[in-house]
Amino acid sequence: MRAQLRCELLKQRSTRTAVGLLGGMLGLVAFAVLLHGFGVDAKRLDSGSDQLTIVLGRGEFLAALFAALLGALSITGEFRHGTIRPTLLVAPRRGRVVAAKVSVSGLLGAGFGLAGCALAAVLGTVALRARGIDIRLEGGDYALLLAGGAAAGALSAAIGVGVGAIARNQVPALIGICAWLLFVEGLLLGDVADVGDVGRFAPGALGAAISGQDPDTLVTPAAALVLLAVYAVAGAAAGAIATTRRDVA
Amino acid sequence: MSAGRPAPLEVPAAVTGPEDAVVTARALTKCYRDLTAVDDLTFSLARGTVTGFLGPNGAGKTTTLRLLLGLAEPTAGEALVFGKRYRDLDRPSRRVGALLEPGDFHPGRSGRDHLRMLALSAELPMRRVDDVLAQVELERAAGRRVRTYSLGMRQRLGLAAALLGDPDLLVLDEPATGLDPAGVHWLRRFLRAFAERGRTVLVSSHMLAEAAQTVDQVVIIDRGRLVASGRLDELTERGRTLEDVFLGMTGGQV
Repeated sequence: MRAQLRCELLKQRSTRTAVGLLGGMLGLVAFAVLLHGFGVDAKRLDSGSDQLTIVLGRGEFLAALFAALLGALSITGEFRHGTIRPTLLVAPRRGRVVAAKVSVSGLLGAGFGLAGCALAAVLGTVALRARGIDIRLEGGDYALLLAGGAAAGALSAAIGVGVGAIARNQVPALIGICAWLLFVEGLLLGDVADVGDVGRFAPGALGAAISGQDPDTLVTPAAALVLLAVYAVAGAAAGAIATTRRDVA
Repeated sequence: MSAGRPAPLEVPAAVTGPEDAVVTARALTKCYRDLTAVDDLTFSLARGTVTGFLGPNGAGKTTTLRLLLGLAEPTAGEALVFGKRYRDLDRPSRRVGALLEPGDFHPGRSGRDHLRMLALSAELPMRRVDDVLAQVELERAAGRRVRTYSLGMRQRLGLAAALLGDPDLLVLDEPATGLDPAGVHWLRRFLRAFAERGRTVLVSSHMLAEAAQTVDQVVIIDRGRLVASGRLDELTERGRTLEDVFLGMTGGQV
């Protein structure tokens, strides 16, 4: 297993994919946080919870999205470029290969979460201060944002590996992840009251809950962490089974 | 067996018996939804031979190789290397090296990193990476991203990956594709030298003239079934060329 982990780390390091995704994510975090930090009406930003949810939480959201994409790319890229064949010839125990991808993508996903939330915390705080808005967030809120963002990133990456392993085809996997997090979850948490209860338990909403966002609507950070971990384990296991049971063309 | 299909050509002292076989296919069958790609295929290969695995396009050669290498599961029958299923081999890359597709690389990764990542996974010493790069004469290009490689260079890199574990058996699917004449000559010498050290090569091809110069025995399949197997010199005796044998057994398709 250690050999698989070292192999997987080298795979991630030896192409520009992970660095490109990190750069793209940080750029979008900066854009989203500055837009909301400077652009949202000050009256809507007078509580700590609102400041976290509307401005700083963008870091967690984008980190979870990009971590899920990173996880999906780690396996769909192997099918797209054909490297799945040499990979499985050298390591025919496919469950271990998927487990290594989950571990390494999870580690990088945690890094994405930490980096995205740290950047959002700094830029969001600077933007609000520059407008003369009182910062209502305390040290514990920042700590929860960073720790929760890291956890959400890691677990989202694991789910991404599972989605990628099941889909295999890169384009549907990436579109599926984007459509879910950017559109479907918005519907579930939107104006239709009856589905709002369901939407709170969707993966993206759980990631937001772990980092302390929108506590009036979402579940508690601890419950969110447990539930998202269950999704991640289920997703990774489904991915491992899908990889083990199906032929590689 | 379908009516009208010729029985497999019998050649004495053909490929080896299963007891000391490096590669064994026993009643190997692979069905897809509406297609039987490999149909009750039985053959085995002895150590120290270069075997040409021949057949028209779509005959089931690539599917058979994937079954042997554990990438696909047989519908029925067995595909064994060194008497075991591929996935049950201990340290498979030290026993079997395979080159299946010329393009199985991430285009943005360097050739050296491709080999390093496989060496890490197989727990091989990193010096093997430099060894095989020298063996396929690709040292100078090793630091470049694979997207800058010619098809011939990709074939060499794929061969280097197959050789990483210093295996006893090489399985190559159409390895001459994309090689220039000098490359084909180099590959032929390389495979002969590999077999002369007591190791075994199974090489699929539909290029008969090239195969006839490289291999010492053949397994010919058509529509998933074995049509002939045996030593090349025995199959081609009485002035027949490999092409004559092949076209006679496969109904004229190349």
